[in-house]
Amino acid sequence: MDYIILSVTLLAIGIYGLLTKRHLLKVLISIELIAMAASMNFVLLASSLDKALGEAFLILAFSTDTCVTAIVLGLLVIVSKKYGTCDIRKLAEIEQSEKGADEENKS
Amino acid sequence: MILELLAVGLVVSACLAIYLDEAVYSVAALACTFIFMTILYALSNAIFVAVFQLAIGAGTLAVLFLSGEMLSEKPREKKILKKMLPAVVVALLMSFPAIFFSVVVTPANVSSEVSFAQALWNMRAIDVVLQGLVIVTVALGIAIILYERKVGES
Repeated sequence: MDYIILSVTLLAIGIYGLLTKRHLLKVLISIELIAMAASMNFVLLASSLDKALGEAFLILAFSTDTCVTAIVLGLLVIVSKKYGTCDIRKLAEIEQSEKGADEENKS
Repeated sequence: MILELLAVGLVVSACLAIYLDEAVYSVAALACTFIFMTILYALSNAIFVAVFQLAIGAGTLAVLFLSGEMLSEKPREKKILKKMLPAVVVALLMSFPAIFFSVVVTPANVSSEVSFAQALWNMRAIDVVLQGLVIVTVALGIAIILYERKVGES
Protein backbone atom coordinates (compact mmCIF):
# COMPACT_ATOMS: atom_id res chain seq x y z
CA MET A 1 0.00 0.00 0.00
CA ASP A 2 1.24 3.50 -0.80
CA TYR A 3 0.72 6.26 1.75
CA ILE A 4 1.43 9.07 -0.71
CA ILE A 5 -1.40 8.00 -3.02
CA LEU A 6 -3.66 7.55 0.02
CA SER A 7 -2.91 11.07 1.25
CA VAL A 8 -3.38 12.48 -2.27
CA THR A 9 -6.78 10.73 -2.40
CA LEU A 10 -7.75 12.28 0.96
CA LEU A 11 -6.51 15.67 -0.24
CA ALA A 12 -8.60 15.34 -3.42
CA ILE A 13 -11.72 14.48 -1.39
CA GLY A 14 -11.09 17.50 0.88
CA ILE A 15 -10.57 19.90 -2.04
CA TYR A 16 -13.71 18.55 -3.75
CA GLY A 17 -15.71 19.22 -0.59
CA LEU A 18 -14.18 22.68 -0.20
CA LEU A 19 -15.14 23.62 -3.76
CA THR A 20 -18.60 22.10 -3.99
CA LYS A 21 -20.23 22.18 -0.55
CA ARG A 22 -22.12 25.28 0.58
CA HIS A 23 -22.74 24.48 4.25
CA LEU A 24 -20.07 26.02 6.51
CA LEU A 25 -19.79 22.86 8.64
CA LYS A 26 -19.04 20.83 5.49
CA VAL A 27 -16.37 23.36 4.57
CA LEU A 28 -14.84 22.86 8.02
CA ILE A 29 -14.94 19.08 7.59
CA SER A 30 -13.20 19.49 4.21
CA ILE A 31 -10.48 21.59 5.83
CA GLU A 32 -10.07 18.87 8.48
CA LEU A 33 -9.63 16.25 5.75
CA ILE A 34 -7.03 18.38 3.95
CA ALA A 35 -5.11 18.87 7.21
CA MET A 36 -5.38 15.14 7.89
CA ALA A 37 -3.91 14.33 4.45
CA ALA A 38 -1.00 16.70 5.07
CA SER A 39 -0.27 15.30 8.53
CA MET A 40 -0.48 11.74 7.24
CA ASN A 41 2.38 12.48 4.84
CA PHE A 42 4.51 13.74 7.73
CA VAL A 43 3.87 10.81 10.04
CA LEU A 44 3.83 7.84 7.77
CA LEU A 45 6.82 8.88 5.68
CA ALA A 46 8.75 9.72 8.85
CA SER A 47 7.88 6.43 10.52
CA SER A 48 8.58 4.38 7.40
CA LEU A 49 12.02 6.04 7.10
CA ASP A 50 12.56 5.65 10.88
CA LYS A 51 12.94 9.40 11.52
CA ALA A 52 11.30 10.95 14.60
CA LEU A 53 11.54 14.53 13.36
CA GLY A 54 8.42 14.18 11.22
CA GLU A 55 6.37 13.15 14.26
CA ALA A 56 7.72 16.09 16.26
CA PHE A 57 6.81 18.51 13.49
CA LEU A 58 3.32 17.10 13.35
CA ILE A 59 2.45 18.34 16.84
CA LEU A 60 2.72 21.90 15.52
CA ALA A 61 0.37 20.94 12.68
CA PHE A 62 -2.10 19.45 15.17
CA SER A 63 -2.15 22.57 17.35
CA THR A 64 -2.58 24.85 14.32
CA ASP A 65 -5.37 22.62 13.05
CA THR A 66 -7.15 22.77 16.43
CA CYS A 67 -6.88 26.59 16.46
CA VAL A 68 -8.35 26.76 12.94
CA THR A 69 -11.22 24.48 13.96
CA ALA A 70 -11.97 26.55 17.08
CA ILE A 71 -11.95 29.85 15.17
CA VAL A 72 -14.10 28.54 12.30
CA LEU A 73 -16.59 26.98 14.73
CA GLY A 74 -16.82 30.26 16.68
CA LEU A 75 -17.46 32.17 13.46
CA LEU A 76 -19.98 29.55 12.36
CA VAL A 77 -22.03 29.86 15.55
CA ILE A 78 -21.97 33.69 15.41
CA VAL A 79 -22.96 33.75 11.72
CA SER A 80 -25.77 31.23 12.17
CA LYS A 81 -27.15 33.16 15.15
CA LYS A 82 -26.97 36.50 13.33
CA TYR A 83 -28.27 35.47 9.89
CA GLY A 84 -30.11 32.22 10.63
CA THR A 85 -28.29 30.26 7.94
CA CYS A 86 -24.95 28.53 7.32
CA ASP A 87 -25.24 28.48 3.52
CA ILE A 88 -22.31 30.37 1.98
CA ARG A 89 -24.27 31.58 -1.05
CA LYS A 90 -27.16 32.83 1.06
CA LEU A 91 -24.69 34.64 3.31
CA ALA A 92 -23.07 36.26 0.25
CA GLU A 93 -26.52 37.38 -0.96
CA ILE A 94 -27.35 38.81 2.46
CA GLU A 95 -24.03 40.69 2.53
CA GLN A 96 -24.62 42.11 -0.95
CA SER A 97 -28.13 43.24 -0.07
CA GLU A 98 -26.83 44.86 3.14
CA LYS A 99 -24.14 46.68 1.16
CA GLY A 100 -26.76 47.89 -1.34
CA ALA A 101 -28.96 49.16 1.49
CA ASP A 102 -25.99 51.00 3.06
CA GLU A 103 -25.12 52.70 -0.24
CA GLU A 104 -28.75 53.78 -0.71
CA ASN A 105 -28.81 55.25 2.79
CA LYS A 106 -25.57 57.17 2.11
CA SER A 107 -26.84 58.61 -1.16
CA MET B 1 -4.06 -6.79 4.87
CA ILE B 2 -5.10 -4.75 7.93
CA LEU B 3 -3.43 -1.63 6.54
CA GLU B 4 -5.24 -2.05 3.21
CA LEU B 5 -8.59 -2.43 4.98
CA LEU B 6 -7.83 0.67 7.04
CA ALA B 7 -6.99 2.61 3.88
CA VAL B 8 -10.29 1.58 2.27
CA GLY B 9 -12.19 2.51 5.44
CA LEU B 10 -10.38 5.85 5.58
CA VAL B 11 -11.30 6.81 2.03
CA VAL B 12 -14.91 5.55 2.33
CA SER B 13 -15.54 7.42 5.60
CA ALA B 14 -13.90 10.59 4.23
CA CYS B 15 -16.14 10.40 1.14
CA LEU B 16 -19.22 9.90 3.30
CA ALA B 17 -18.24 12.84 5.53
CA ILE B 18 -18.31 15.07 2.46
CA TYR B 19 -21.21 13.43 0.62
CA LEU B 20 -23.90 13.06 3.31
CA ASP B 21 -26.23 16.04 3.57
CA GLU B 22 -27.13 15.72 7.24
CA ALA B 23 -24.48 17.42 9.39
CA VAL B 24 -24.64 14.91 12.25
CA TYR B 25 -24.11 11.92 9.93
CA SER B 26 -21.21 13.77 8.31
CA VAL B 27 -19.58 14.29 11.69
CA ALA B 28 -20.14 10.60 12.52
CA ALA B 29 -18.35 9.66 9.28
CA LEU B 30 -15.54 12.08 10.17
CA ALA B 31 -15.28 10.35 13.55
CA CYS B 32 -14.72 7.05 11.70
CA THR B 33 -12.02 8.77 9.61
CA PHE B 34 -10.28 9.93 12.80
CA ILE B 35 -10.46 6.43 14.29
CA PHE B 36 -9.08 4.76 11.15
CA MET B 37 -6.30 7.34 11.00
CA THR B 38 -5.40 6.74 14.66
CA ILE B 39 -5.19 2.97 14.13
CA LEU B 40 -3.09 3.55 10.99
CA TYR B 41 -0.67 5.70 12.96
CA ALA B 42 -0.50 3.18 15.81
CA LEU B 43 0.21 0.32 13.41
CA SER B 44 2.93 2.40 11.73
CA ASN B 45 4.83 2.69 15.04
CA ALA B 46 3.90 6.36 15.50
CA ILE B 47 2.38 5.86 18.97
CA PHE B 48 2.85 9.46 20.20
CA VAL B 49 1.11 10.86 17.15
CA ALA B 50 -1.70 8.29 17.47
CA VAL B 51 -2.30 9.40 21.07
CA PHE B 52 -2.27 13.08 20.07
CA GLN B 53 -4.61 12.39 17.16
CA LEU B 54 -7.02 10.52 19.43
CA ALA B 55 -7.02 13.27 22.08
CA ILE B 56 -7.45 16.12 19.61
CA GLY B 57 -9.97 14.14 17.54
CA ALA B 58 -12.13 13.43 20.60
CA GLY B 59 -12.32 17.13 21.47
CA THR B 60 -12.89 18.27 17.90
CA LEU B 61 -15.60 15.69 17.26
CA ALA B 62 -17.46 16.51 20.48
CA VAL B 63 -17.64 20.17 19.48
CA LEU B 64 -18.52 19.31 15.88
CA PHE B 65 -21.33 16.97 17.04
CA LEU B 66 -22.79 19.71 19.21
CA SER B 67 -22.61 22.37 16.52
CA GLY B 68 -23.86 19.92 13.88
CA GLU B 69 -26.92 19.15 15.99
CA MET B 70 -27.44 22.86 16.68
CA LEU B 71 -27.03 24.05 13.10
CA SER B 72 -28.84 21.33 11.15
CA GLU B 73 -31.74 22.94 9.31
CA LYS B 74 -33.49 20.00 7.65
CA PRO B 75 -35.26 17.07 9.35
CA ARG B 76 -33.27 13.83 9.23
CA GLU B 77 -33.74 11.60 6.21
CA LYS B 78 -34.74 7.98 6.74
CA LYS B 79 -33.50 6.48 3.44
CA ILE B 80 -29.89 7.21 4.21
CA LEU B 81 -28.57 3.74 3.24
CA LYS B 82 -29.92 4.07 -0.31
CA LYS B 83 -28.26 7.46 -0.62
CA MET B 84 -24.96 6.23 0.80
CA LEU B 85 -24.52 3.41 -1.73
CA PRO B 86 -23.19 5.44 -4.73
CA ALA B 87 -20.80 7.33 -2.47
CA VAL B 88 -19.48 4.08 -1.00
CA VAL B 89 -18.94 2.59 -4.48
CA VAL B 90 -17.10 5.72 -5.68
CA ALA B 91 -14.99 5.75 -2.50
CA LEU B 92 -14.07 2.07 -2.96
CA LEU B 93 -12.94 2.82 -6.51
CA MET B 94 -10.95 5.81 -5.24
CA SER B 95 -9.17 3.71 -2.62
CA PHE B 96 -7.87 1.12 -5.15
CA PRO B 97 -4.93 3.23 -6.45
CA ALA B 98 -3.54 3.58 -2.93
CA ILE B 99 -3.62 -0.21 -2.51
CA PHE B 100 -2.45 -1.42 -5.91
CA PHE B 101 -0.03 1.31 -7.09
CA SER B 102 3.04 2.80 -5.49
CA VAL B 103 5.27 5.85 -5.86
CA VAL B 104 9.02 5.50 -5.48
CA VAL B 105 10.33 7.74 -2.69
CA THR B 106 14.01 8.61 -2.38
CA PRO B 107 14.81 9.30 1.29
CA ALA B 108 16.55 12.56 2.08
CA ASN B 109 20.05 12.37 3.50
CA VAL B 110 19.14 13.26 7.11
CA SER B 111 20.51 11.47 10.16
CA SER B 112 18.00 8.97 11.51
CA GLU B 113 19.54 8.79 14.98
CA VAL B 114 17.26 11.46 16.45
CA SER B 115 14.72 10.23 18.99
CA PHE B 116 11.25 11.74 19.40
CA ALA B 117 12.14 13.47 22.68
CA GLN B 118 15.35 14.89 21.19
CA ALA B 119 13.54 16.15 18.12
CA LEU B 120 10.80 17.68 20.25
CA TRP B 121 12.83 19.34 23.01
CA ASN B 122 16.41 19.80 21.76
CA MET B 123 15.53 20.89 18.23
CA ARG B 124 12.11 22.48 18.67
CA ALA B 125 11.79 23.56 22.33
CA ILE B 126 11.09 27.25 21.58
CA ASP B 127 8.65 26.22 18.90
CA VAL B 128 6.70 23.99 21.28
CA VAL B 129 6.49 26.75 23.92
CA LEU B 130 5.44 29.30 21.30
CA GLN B 131 2.67 27.11 19.97
CA GLY B 132 1.36 26.73 23.53
CA LEU B 133 1.29 30.54 23.70
CA VAL B 134 -0.57 30.69 20.37
CA ILE B 135 -3.22 28.27 21.64
CA VAL B 136 -3.68 30.25 24.89
CA THR B 137 -3.95 33.52 22.91
CA VAL B 138 -6.57 32.05 20.57
CA ALA B 139 -8.59 30.67 23.49
CA LEU B 140 -8.45 34.04 25.29
CA GLY B 141 -9.41 35.87 22.07
CA ILE B 142 -12.46 33.67 21.55
CA ALA B 143 -13.49 34.08 25.21
CA ILE B 144 -13.16 37.89 24.96
CA ILE B 145 -15.16 38.04 21.70
CA LEU B 146 -17.94 35.91 23.18
CA TYR B 147 -17.93 37.99 26.39
CA GLU B 148 -18.16 41.27 24.43
CA ARG B 149 -21.03 39.89 22.36
CA LYS B 150 -22.84 38.83 25.54
CA VAL B 151 -22.33 42.31 27.06
CA GLY B 152 -23.47 43.96 23.80
CA GLU B 153 -26.63 41.84 23.65
CA SER B 154 -27.54 42.57 27.27
